[in-house]
Amino acid sequence: MLNSLIFIALPYAALALLLLVTPYRFLSNRLTWSAYSTQFLERKVLYWGINPWHYGILPILLAHVLGFAFPGLFKRFLGNPETLVGVESVLFGLGAFAVLGVLLLLLRRVNSGMLKRVTFSSDWLILYLLLFQAGTGIYIGYFMRWGSQWYLHTAVPYLWSIVSFQPQIEYVADLPLVFKLHAACAFLIVAVLPFTKLVHMLYLPVDFLKDPPLLYRWRSK
Amino acid sequence: MDVRAQIVMVFNLDKCIGCHTCSISCKNIWTDRKGAEYMWWNNVETKPGVGYPRQWEDQERFKGGWVVDGKKLKLKAMGKGPTLANMFFQPNMPKIEDYYEPFDFDYGNLAGAKEGKDQPVAEAFSQISGKKIEEIQGGPNWDDDLSGSQIYAAKDLNLKDKKVIESYDSMFMQYLPRICNHCLNPACVASCPSRALYKRGEDGIVLVDQEVCKGWRFCTSACPYKKVYFNWNTGKAEKCIFCYPRVETGQCNACAHSCVGRIRYVGVLLYDADAVEGAALKGDTELVEAHRDVILDPRDPEVCRLARENGVPEQWLEAAVASPVYALVKEFRVALPLHPEFRTLPMAYYIPSLSPVLSTWGDTHKLLEHGMIPALQTLRVPIGYLASLLSAGNEGVIEEVLKKLIALRVQMRAENLGLPADPALLQEAGLDEAAAKRLYRLFTVAGYNERNVIPPQQREEDDPQRRKQEAGFGILKKTRGGSK
Repeated sequence: MLNSLIFIALPYAALALLLLVTPYRFLSNRLTWSAYSTQFLERKVLYWGINPWHYGILPILLAHVLGFAFPGLFKRFLGNPETLVGVESVLFGLGAFAVLGVLLLLLRRVNSGMLKRVTFSSDWLILYLLLFQAGTGIYIGYFMRWGSQWYLHTAVPYLWSIVSFQPQIEYVADLPLVFKLHAACAFLIVAVLPFTKLVHMLYLPVDFLKDPPLLYRWRSK
Repeated sequence: MDVRAQIVMVFNLDKCIGCHTCSISCKNIWTDRKGAEYMWWNNVETKPGVGYPRQWEDQERFKGGWVVDGKKLKLKAMGKGPTLANMFFQPNMPKIEDYYEPFDFDYGNLAGAKEGKDQPVAEAFSQISGKKIEEIQGGPNWDDDLSGSQIYAAKDLNLKDKKVIESYDSMFMQYLPRICNHCLNPACVASCPSRALYKRGEDGIVLVDQEVCKGWRFCTSACPYKKVYFNWNTGKAEKCIFCYPRVETGQCNACAHSCVGRIRYVGVLLYDADAVEGAALKGDTELVEAHRDVILDPRDPEVCRLARENGVPEQWLEAAVASPVYALVKEFRVALPLHPEFRTLPMAYYIPSLSPVLSTWGDTHKLLEHGMIPALQTLRVPIGYLASLLSAGNEGVIEEVLKKLIALRVQMRAENLGLPADPALLQEAGLDEAAAKRLYRLFTVAGYNERNVIPPQQREEDDPQRRKQEAGFGILKKTRGGSK
């Protein structure tokens, strides 16, 4: 029951929300599409929170996504035990960094009067979700060793079965509870993403890298 | 040569009385909103003074504008790679305290307080946190008129010799009204990773597309004039829009319209877009001349031909000929760009003020060279100070302008009193009698339609049927792009 909720109902609900709500918000209310930076009002704690968080979580997120996209490549790459140990330690360090960052970001909102007017329930929701996600992540990293290896043999085939609409939860059904919570939280984050300021991660500023410095717009051309 | 049109404002500092009417009319129309309480798209600051936001001219701190790197221009703050790396925390961004924490007063308490021994008061509270403010730390024009202050005026970066403001004999003061300069080489536009800021091709107005802006905040520090603001409520950048809804219909901006001293002139300039980068690459002392060289003569048939080719409408070409801005900036060469050394080619120009004479009692009459009109060297505002503000340190440029203003005064005073004028003085300053007449008229009696020559936009020129089919009735939206 718990398994089918976490591994079948949740991912499809999350995917449906992501795929339907995101374009709706983009087309109907782009004025709210912002990273909602609060650096203007409070910057001291932010510096120590936001940098560790982003620089910690981005490589980890990228590793998850790439492992999902190219499992064969990663199986070969991590076949060498020394590489595996190296990768695990680096990712664990980055994870700890991210947890520290998101914890500071959360406490910063608790303590700063200036941020009260710009803190909404959605901010609390995503901060708690991200803290839980990063926390369970490093717990798994520490107590369930070689995750970067077994992830490729359990979660990745399961995720592929989800996106090909033939869910096979037996890949992940027998894993410990903490893994299930980690997965459930991941799906929750995907589900709330289109409703919150997390949408800022759907926009990668890359066009400006190739554009000329000055942008003109002509009404007539 | 790529001829384009730009709508430009000129400020005559001699006539600014620092009444802040411009700021108020701007505030009432555009920034009287949550998140924008602290913004003054138009502000008037006292010089010498720290300005708004505090010490905005300090580019070592805010890293605004451009610098010359070998033979290329680059943003002072960072290149494109570091922009990506600093996306999460933007190191050079001004914070709210650099402006001021906006506040209001709890007037409700005056009527609603419970009966007590003391008279109820309206306490100040922060418009951001809502908390009571015990002691207000700053506000709009916090250093207004404090040009002798050691806390504010002494920190003015343009004031090289701080002793000047320490004694009543040499202390001086003037006002500096500022809006967004709608630069030809805007650093804010270049710094935006979302490409939300753009310059309108037809009139050169620089705008932020609120739908594209993601709030990365690089523009707020890249603008060396600190005229792009961060709205803490919407999480996006905002700036002066040159009142485009008014200007498009041929009315002048709210700030210029409400100006009590009538110090502002609005008009069209034609410029060569291909020459902009070259001008910004010039050395500090040549920058003002480079500015003037970018501006083209609207009476030159070749310029007109190329302008027409570029789609500049006939009405705009006529307005460019009648433009008071062209007369003041290029013909008479009396209006100068603010801090040209930031290399954004600002398109707001300032006529330096002809300040009172600096003298000690008893010496006064010896200092007056031309009857009642002061000599250049005895002016109260140090020429070096004006040069630091308006000509990147080139004192020759300032002297040339002040000489003209002095000669003009001598001439007009003589004419008024029926005294013989000295034509040599005018000639020496580079003016003749006809020019003096025109300048005098512009400075004094010119009416609304002489001070503001604003051609309406040519939306009706598009085929209306086609426009209706393609664009519906709303504003034509293009999320990204347009050509260079």
